[in-house]
Amino acid sequence: MKINRRDFLKISGRGGGGLILSLAVPVHGKIGGLIEDIGQIEFNNFISIDHNGEITIMLTKHEMGQGTGTAIPTIIADELNADWSKVKIKQVAYDPKYTWLEMGTTGGSGSISRTWDSIRIAGATVKKLLMQTAANNWGVDIKVLEVENSYITNLVTNERVEFGALAEGASQLPIPKDIVLKTPKEYTYIVKTLKNRLTEDVISGKAKYGIDMNIPGMVYASIEKCPIYKGTLKSYDAKEAKKKKGVLDVFPIVLPKVIKSKLNSVLSHVDEGVVVIAMSTWIAFEARKLLKIEWEGGENESRSMASLDKDMEYVKELPDVMSVDIGNVETELANSSSRVVEMQYDNPYQAHAVMEPLNATAHFENDSCELWVGTQDAEQTIREVATSLELPMEKITLNNLISGGSFGRRYHTDTSIEAAFISKHIKKPVKLVWTREDEVRNDHFQPYLRNYLKAIVSREGEVIGIENRAISTVEYASWSEKWEFFYAFPNIRCYRTRVPTLLHEGAWRAVGEHLAAMSKECFVDELAHELGKDPLDYRVELLSREVDLGNPKDLPEAVQRYVLPRRDLAWQRQLDIIFYIKKSKLWSNQTQKGKGRGFAIHAFGSTICAQIAEVSIGGDLGYCVDKVTAIVHCGLVINPHFAKGQIEGSIIWALSALKYGGMEVENGMVQRSNFHDNKVLRIDELPEIDVIFLKSDERPSGLGEPGTPPLAPAVLNAIFNASGKRVRKIPVTKKDLL
Amino acid sequence: MAVYNLKINDSFFPIDIDQNTPLLWVLRDTLALYGTKYGCGIGQCGACTVLVDGLPIRSCSIPVEAVKNKSIVTIEGLSPNSNHPVQIAWRDLDVPQCGYCQSGQIMTAAALLERIPNPNDADINRAMKGNICRCGTYSRIREAIKVAAKHRTSENQ
Repeated sequence: MKINRRDFLKISGRGGGGLILSLAVPVHGKIGGLIEDIGQIEFNNFISIDHNGEITIMLTKHEMGQGTGTAIPTIIADELNADWSKVKIKQVAYDPKYTWLEMGTTGGSGSISRTWDSIRIAGATVKKLLMQTAANNWGVDIKVLEVENSYITNLVTNERVEFGALAEGASQLPIPKDIVLKTPKEYTYIVKTLKNRLTEDVISGKAKYGIDMNIPGMVYASIEKCPIYKGTLKSYDAKEAKKKKGVLDVFPIVLPKVIKSKLNSVLSHVDEGVVVIAMSTWIAFEARKLLKIEWEGGENESRSMASLDKDMEYVKELPDVMSVDIGNVETELANSSSRVVEMQYDNPYQAHAVMEPLNATAHFENDSCELWVGTQDAEQTIREVATSLELPMEKITLNNLISGGSFGRRYHTDTSIEAAFISKHIKKPVKLVWTREDEVRNDHFQPYLRNYLKAIVSREGEVIGIENRAISTVEYASWSEKWEFFYAFPNIRCYRTRVPTLLHEGAWRAVGEHLAAMSKECFVDELAHELGKDPLDYRVELLSREVDLGNPKDLPEAVQRYVLPRRDLAWQRQLDIIFYIKKSKLWSNQTQKGKGRGFAIHAFGSTICAQIAEVSIGGDLGYCVDKVTAIVHCGLVINPHFAKGQIEGSIIWALSALKYGGMEVENGMVQRSNFHDNKVLRIDELPEIDVIFLKSDERPSGLGEPGTPPLAPAVLNAIFNASGKRVRKIPVTKKDLL
Repeated sequence: MAVYNLKINDSFFPIDIDQNTPLLWVLRDTLALYGTKYGCGIGQCGACTVLVDGLPIRSCSIPVEAVKNKSIVTIEGLSPNSNHPVQIAWRDLDVPQCGYCQSGQIMTAAALLERIPNPNDADINRAMKGNICRCGTYSRIREAIKVAAKHRTSENQ
């Protein structure tokens, strides 16, 4: 077995003849530690070629509809020059020995962008080993060989040999030092549209999601959960429930304080509740209705959206952390010759409403636990379940199944902890299923962000200062104020203030970028209008100079680590997109009566998405989104069909939130329960969607989320353009347009 | 509890179950036919759609008692080799993303084409708006239905 320390590769032989390439892909930023401990790190058997030429690519990424399980193997097969029909993709059960590995987490639009180098090197390394083996066997130099479709041809003699015959020999060779990766012109699979590997099973009904698990001896569980965040179970009466035919047991689920204190408070928040064990899902659901439960509401019992509104209003003048301070906003505010334009924007809580209701299947036995669940982070789930059971991580096995949508919700480990807890209690394998009502009411919601924005307009009609008071219900979403990176106002001040949340929170497609983009792109649009400028021209003006950030070391650590390196690229790409739009005449200021057009542009990492929304006034909701044109710069597009699907999907996701999102909360309780009142977009509301990708050979920069942030501001700006009415919040209702 | 001999996908399944059990859960938990999905339980999302005597029915909202003498077709029985025109179109256009809603989409689409062999956008919207897709594959669904309609027409000629 040989190790390449620079690229974290290992090559070894496999039983029965063949080759295995093992790979470690360090998580962003942790490379330093990995190099020291490389001898201790276990690598993930990643690419395997057997003597028949069958190529197995192991997948640890989570398939949730984004197509990564097809796209990553596509990239490898391309570098390898493999016959795609010989490529098998195998979802592997996650193992705790793969620590720190990028391959174990799926989210942040990073699956391809963060593994791009490693997986290409892996594919190219295997190809070079196979070529060298063939060269050695034929006694020629590697230069006279051609590789295509899993065959290596000796161009001197026209003999050819298949990968399978070479694999064993290749596993004995030293790992080549100089790997040459393909140039984009040489790609044969990348930029083509290979089919989604899931489609065949989906259309036949064979695709197996977490909710479809079936273990011998399995029983079914469902939990009547506390409806108030941080509420507790006071008492319960299970007499009637236990009488129901098919009910096996009823008991509480309350994690001990000492366990809760060790768990991740965001990912592993588990509501208190009462568990019903039954012979079927249906019986468990029905038996829950027979429970009589008393809850202790706790600190959120008296709170509501109205009280949250007051909480935010209260801290408006008492901002907490000053996160950006460029120039001197205070001085400019005091300048009496200027005027101040002031606006408030509200981007409220959002539910996930993932299509497949949350679930997990667990079998606790002999001080170890096996799990079957669709999760975006298998390693994290194993760690948290192990903590909750007070077991070492090695005792937890996780089988990661495809999911019916994740969108950030399936990062959270709550259902796995619950299922493991239940299985341990009843000493049987168990499938835990949440109802749709549970999924809506006990969601881990996108946080609420309110922005109080001020612009200082000089007597000469220039915006010389911006102040953003961001008030949010959580910490992690609010670092994306984004005023300090792209639009070059000479004076910028941002504050970040927290208020206690009403609802438990978590990642939601596009996270803080969705929150920040709305107020930013709406406010800049309002300023453009205030100054009598075209919205695109005004943005170009603001992007034509660099923001003076001062000493980068004074910026928050997360910003230094993640944002600054990408800022220049994101900045250039925003300009490229706007220039492209102008050159292609995609934007026009001409509209008909009752119709309007709105623009927004936002960076998600290094991927930029601009959107032009076309809106008509009228109809049931008071407005109708007729068309959205998305212009995207994401570097190289790996699979055009998947790429378009991600942008379309992100737009539909965001449009759902714009039309029907937010959440009502009274007495600490979520007021919606299912799709009849927590509405989502349906096929008859689909706008026309055009997606344009700027042609690029640069490294792929991610596509799962970037299509979501620009939608709300583009539509809100279009509504203004059509009606003259500024709506500064979502959801937008008919009342807002009266 | 009642005893039924359910006709599903041209086979008969004898079962003994509470007559109020929704067909969805009989299919999934009793008969391990997992292709029909649970999405909401109140007939709002369409993921549980099956054909009952050829009509698209939300199986979460119909008790097994009501279908005891009917012919039920689930996604698993729509065609022998996933070669129903709707499935062929779904395959050719690579419609699914996560795929969870797609059984219901396919069954509803299959029923639509029996009723309206050449649906326009308005027909498609009306028939399909009961089927939610959170991944947003609606444009592909619409296109695939039109492609399936064309193949059905040429098949029947």
